[in-house]
Amino acid sequence: MNVLEAADVVKTFREGTESVSVLRGASLSLARGEIVALEGPSGSGKTTFLTILGCMLTPTSGRVAIEGRAVDPNRPDRLPWLRRTSIGFVFQQFNLFPALTAAENVEYTLNLKGLKGKSARIEAARVLEAVGLTDRAHFLPRDLSGGQKQRVAIARALAGSAPIILADEPTANLDSQVGSQVLELFRDLAKRENRALLIVTHDPKVRGVADRVAHIADGVIQN
Amino acid sequence: MVDLARKILFHDKVRFLITVSGVAFAVTLVFVQVGLFEGLLANASVTIEKIDADLWVSARNTPNVDFSNTFSETMVQRVRSVPGVARADNLIVWFGRVALPSGATENAVLYALEDFTHWNLPWRISTGDARDLRRGKYVILDDSATKRFGPFAVGDYREFNGQRLKIIGRTAEARSFTTNPIAFLDYRVAQSLDRQSLHNRTTYILVKLAPGADAPAVAAAIQHRLPYNNVWTRDAWAVRSRSYWTDNTGLGLNMVMTVFLGCLVGVVVVAQTLYTSTMEHIKEFATVKAIGGGNAQIYAIIAKQAVIAAVVGFALGALMTSGLRPIMAGIDLKLSLTPSFAFVVFAGTLGLCLAASAISFRRVASLDPALVFRG
Ligand SMILES: Nc1ncnc2c1ncn2[C@@H]1O[C@H](COP(=O)(O)OP(=O)(O)O)[C@@H](O)[C@H]1O
Ligand SMILES: [Mg+2]
Repeated sequence: MNVLEAADVVKTFREGTESVSVLRGASLSLARGEIVALEGPSGSGKTTFLTILGCMLTPTSGRVAIEGRAVDPNRPDRLPWLRRTSIGFVFQQFNLFPALTAAENVEYTLNLKGLKGKSARIEAARVLEAVGLTDRAHFLPRDLSGGQKQRVAIARALAGSAPIILADEPTANLDSQVGSQVLELFRDLAKRENRALLIVTHDPKVRGVADRVAHIADGVIQN
Repeated sequence: MVDLARKILFHDKVRFLITVSGVAFAVTLVFVQVGLFEGLLANASVTIEKIDADLWVSARNTPNVDFSNTFSETMVQRVRSVPGVARADNLIVWFGRVALPSGATENAVLYALEDFTHWNLPWRISTGDARDLRRGKYVILDDSATKRFGPFAVGDYREFNGQRLKIIGRTAEARSFTTNPIAFLDYRVAQSLDRQSLHNRTTYILVKLAPGADAPAVAAAIQHRLPYNNVWTRDAWAVRSRSYWTDNTGLGLNMVMTVFLGCLVGVVVVAQTLYTSTMEHIKEFATVKAIGGGNAQIYAIIAKQAVIAAVVGFALGALMTSGLRPIMAGIDLKLSLTPSFAFVVFAGTLGLCLAASAISFRRVASLDPALVFRG
């Protein structure tokens, strides 16, 4: 069964009197344990699509279903709950909290998801170990390298049990070699923990770790 | 739980210091201003509070204890005959002119009784005995006179309204709101200092109630027999004397304005630093939203930062105030502060800091979590 389904997603932005159709019927599905790379040139609508899949933006039309349940476009107030329970994010700019250590960054996310106290600390330690950062757990982001920061971000996305992980250009701010290592790690963990992973990118290295490659052009997706 | 609010706040120590100093400054300003005001105002009713009288009879419409008016001293007989009155005596409160050795003159407030033993007056005497006052042309002078009249010693003579009086004692704390020192002397001597106004006349009747007597009822009975006087309970008289100065001078308004400005400065500093802090961390708050936090979580973070700033700022302000207290006492300024007033200031600080944080809420409410994907 697919944990994520998007069908005929249309998104039109209105800017003054002009309207720009970024997505014109994009469809994509994702199963547990599956890794998909979504490629496309800059400005093709990759991030817009990811934001819709990630329940941060409501499409102009089309359907999105998370874990078999349709996302109601008339209930934007339910979106935070969906993000909390079903989705983990990894961003191009890492977006760690600068005032929190690596471990606290993960733990805080778990706190938001409803896991508190000791169980949150245990889970944070588990995922930090999985990304190989146990010895950096008490470092602030400013004392970590780019690759280490992105590994913390991956740990944060994996923490808890969100079935879907969405990553937007996770290697764009890393040099090539570090990018490859991070992608290998990402792949291993997604497979081991049976998560569905969608990586949106224009980095050709991502193909190497993906089960399937999709392309976005002219607002539609070609598999 | 990871305390993101506190971590963010302490991560930028300089900003935290600015916020806290703003609060501390405002708190100190309010404490000092109100403390000075209360300290000054305490002088306006200090004798009313210290004198052991349950009721005061004054000439009609006397505005405060210092600005007394005269009435016939025989009225005291009528008061003594009212049931429930245990004791009633005439008290003269009158201004006297004191000639200084330098040739200048200054005012003193004269408090004169026939028998000082019954009324706890003077309430703090360091040298001398008030019972000796009735023996002749004597005066007991308050220490605060040193500042206005120059140094004086027991045994010295001073000229009061042209009559030489011998200083036979010293008191403390006896000072009128007009900052004039209080001089204690015999009732008849006081009358002799201003025959034209005080011959056979008094300015107040002090009344002590019999045990179990009902003050308002006795006051009403006295009022009935002395229709051309006013009868006050001790508390009402103290309030009247104090509110004369707050209402009729700019003092009350001045204090309200300074307190208002102090609060304004505090609110602006806190609002301003919390708002810039919120704006600088906007991407982090977008991340909180992206990973599933709602507005409520972010409001809680900002509100908590406001509470921390309020608590630390208040503590610092209270500390600064207690440091200023001895310094101000050294220059003869009394800060009068009560725990209940400190609590009001604390609650006000908390409330105003929270209100200041609310202007950041609006920015957060409209914050788009998709911001996390934008450069
Ligand atoms: N909120 C928005 N309002 C208006 N236009 C937008 C908005 N978000 C994205 N766009 C436009 O949509 C197009 C696709 O953007 P994006 O999804 O970021 O592309 P990509 O991630 O593939 O580079 C761009 O032309 C961009 O200007
Ligand atoms: Mg993009």
